[in-house]
Amino acid sequence: MSADRAVVVAERPAAAEPRPYAFPDVARGCLANGLAVIAVDMPGRPLLTASLVVPGGATEEPADLAGATTLMARAITEGTRSHDAVALVEALERLGATLHAEAGWDALAISLDVPAGRFAAALDLVAEVAAEPTFPDAEVERLREERLNDILQARADPRRRAEDAFIGTVYAPSSPYHRSSAGTTETVGRLDAATSRAELARRFDPARMTLIVGGDLTGLDVERLAVERFGGWTADPAAMAPGPIDATPAASHRRLHVVHRPGSVQTEIRIGHPGAPRRIPDFHALSVMGAILGGLFNSRLNRVLREEKGYTYGAHAGFDLRRAAGPFAARAAVDSAVTVPAIRETLAVLEAIGGGVSQAELDEARDYLVGVFPLRFETAGAVVGALSGLVVHGLPDDELARYRPAIQAVTRDDVAAAAAAHVHPDELAIVLVGDADAFLPDLEAADLGPIEIERDAPSPDPEASDDEAA
Amino acid sequence: MLVPTIEFSDERLANGLRLIVAEDHLAPVAAVNIWYGVGSKHEQPGKTGFAHLFEHVMFQGSAHVSKAEHISLIQSVGGTMNGTTWLDRTNYFETMPSHQLELALWLEADRMGTLLDALSQDNLDNQRDVVKNEKRWSYDNRPYGSWWERMLAGLFPDDHPYHHSTIGSMADLDAASLDDVKGFFRTHYAPNNAVLSIVGDVDRGQVRRWVERYFGGIPANPGLPVTIAGADLPPVLGGERREAVADRVPHARIYWGFRSPVFGDPRLDALDLAGQILAGGKGSRLHRRLVRDERLALDVSLSSAGCVLGASVTAGWATARPGIDLAVLEAAYWEELERLATTPPSADELERAKALTEADELGALQRVEERADRLSMYATLFDDPDLVNRMLPRYLAVTAEQIRDVCRDVFRADNRLVMVFQPAEQAVADAEAAA
Repeated sequence: MSADRAVVVAERPAAAEPRPYAFPDVARGCLANGLAVIAVDMPGRPLLTASLVVPGGATEEPADLAGATTLMARAITEGTRSHDAVALVEALERLGATLHAEAGWDALAISLDVPAGRFAAALDLVAEVAAEPTFPDAEVERLREERLNDILQARADPRRRAEDAFIGTVYAPSSPYHRSSAGTTETVGRLDAATSRAELARRFDPARMTLIVGGDLTGLDVERLAVERFGGWTADPAAMAPGPIDATPAASHRRLHVVHRPGSVQTEIRIGHPGAPRRIPDFHALSVMGAILGGLFNSRLNRVLREEKGYTYGAHAGFDLRRAAGPFAARAAVDSAVTVPAIRETLAVLEAIGGGVSQAELDEARDYLVGVFPLRFETAGAVVGALSGLVVHGLPDDELARYRPAIQAVTRDDVAAAAAAHVHPDELAIVLVGDADAFLPDLEAADLGPIEIERDAPSPDPEASDDEAA
Repeated sequence: MLVPTIEFSDERLANGLRLIVAEDHLAPVAAVNIWYGVGSKHEQPGKTGFAHLFEHVMFQGSAHVSKAEHISLIQSVGGTMNGTTWLDRTNYFETMPSHQLELALWLEADRMGTLLDALSQDNLDNQRDVVKNEKRWSYDNRPYGSWWERMLAGLFPDDHPYHHSTIGSMADLDAASLDDVKGFFRTHYAPNNAVLSIVGDVDRGQVRRWVERYFGGIPANPGLPVTIAGADLPPVLGGERREAVADRVPHARIYWGFRSPVFGDPRLDALDLAGQILAGGKGSRLHRRLVRDERLALDVSLSSAGCVLGASVTAGWATARPGIDLAVLEAAYWEELERLATTPPSADELERAKALTEADELGALQRVEERADRLSMYATLFDDPDLVNRMLPRYLAVTAEQIRDVCRDVFRADNRLVMVFQPAEQAVADAEAAA
């Protein structure tokens, strides 16, 4: 062990001159059948990402078939007229390609990652999956049963349980956002290959779809490759366009919902209400406000709950910006014994944000969002993902180029206005998953609002699926 | 070869700090990554979880940086950062807009040189609470959450440095004192026990001058611990071990664990490819048979965590489909492992596994943060940062016979730990039925 004292430099260094950065240029094209093609050349990025984006997600399905879109997306790679599921995955693997299809609330996307030299061959398989999926009964049934079992896993996992309880508490049952986008036990039980085919038929219209390709496109004529593979599709006027979304809140007063989970060593806390849609005029102010409230490490919420009180490993708050008002939530998992104090601290933070923020807070949040922007887009996958968001929300191509100046222009007044517009302390639902025996008396004494308690019945056997396999 | 060669410089300051720099001007970003040669394997009995708790303390301030200011300063210029603790090492890293690189170097130097100037009982107590909540969140309040702790405890004997996981025990965390923190810092956190890698839009000569300026005055520790006692280990367990765990889970899950060749041993490269062939996605043997064809499992997994002391950990699982006979699931999983231990994979399987490995490398290494981490890792563990360029060729050179051979050495009945997690109600019913 050395007795020498370390000699370090006390003076904090200043920044050097910023290097230029611009979001990569976007080249747009359109096939005769209406399929939009976006190519983003990123020299030096030899792992390409391509994404075929179909607007309209789980919000567009009938309520009694909730989960149909997600199941269709999972099943679409389970075989085509030319390849069964195993042959398809083997063909992809030989190319070093990974293909996955997934559906969210707002869109369905079939996405591919592949080294540039094998792009054309892999895009053949994307086109095949999109154009001629077979949805074999047995595979769809297997995926359906996997989802039913996943629902059981979600109930057993305190975090997932808390998310499900939260959306069930803040949205009215009429809203699709009231339940998981992958459906419930009841609705998933009704799904099969026929519902998958029906979902595909009313969504897959080239005139509504966009192919986005990013990475080092040297020597690749993306539009020609797209014409060869997707040009033969015909537009389908019967396909639906995404419609309006019901995001009705369940209530507009403060209330508590407790899921009693005996023996839990932590309480999962969710506090929030329906938030905001993506397409709002004050999007940039909302982003800055969210960073200050619960996005940055030194956000108000994390500073208090973690760094001052030690109640949690991490506390966050944020808006899930969808086509309609997705949830706004503050989230933390806390030691059971401090459940009520942690709720009080969280409420205090949410109540205070409408009172405005300091110049230092504004500066830190703005500078973070502006500075981190180039770091977010090192890979083709990240760039293609961001462009998909623009397509889904109908935002202009220059939205990302405009992002940094727009963030930089946000003022303290803008942040205060965004907080007032989008955070409603009187309407908060407080959802807890934990051992109620550890905190219920304190919670009742705290008088935070009406309390509803959910106690689990003994867990049922998962469906009668083993009969079907026999 | 699809993956471009990474050119880098490699030198040491007079105080022993190893500096590795790789320029890449594609994007205006720079990654800073420090590996300290200290992990949970260095913890003394009764002090488990200490290396990780210490990692948290490293964000609590130093002589010229106040509590939480480290992260605040980095985020306020648009940087990202974190630290992680593992059995063999602790690392700290920042990814910065490249014109802010100097700030990250200053921050890392300040805490390497002067952490103890700012250490307080309040900060230690606060981070102890945070870490205890991390343990509750990541292990104790999570379905199947204890599997990794049980895996290490089962594969490594009581006195082996890998017997306990990085999170440690609540009792040991409670017992950690300020003096422990000070001793740990003085013993392990010295420039001659660190590798600093910088990758991205930087100038090599400028970086060298900055690193000399900020880190050059931090003294070396001439008394670094060089060996760890109790690390020798037979290559196999020496007999099957079984454990039944009743947990709050909806589905039974069987875990398998094996001692496997140490990180750096080319046999582990072959075992990584075996993991790909057996459980790497929907084309793999276990997925195809257990999930798709026989419908015994809801999901399957198998992979290796490379470690340098005595043995690595190869671990996998299968989540049982409700209603199936666990003995049938276990036998089918084992049969696939044995099949690969007996017969080499087909040329097509091997080619597919290599193509995916190559694409994975291409994807991972395009990020400056990953490149910096790999350079630090290979320098710290093997004194050979150029492995960043040679690992992929090593994977691509593995033969089908080498895969069979390593599977034969590892997937042995006398080298397996089998843990069966059952829903608590089911476990009670089974016990009553057996009584």
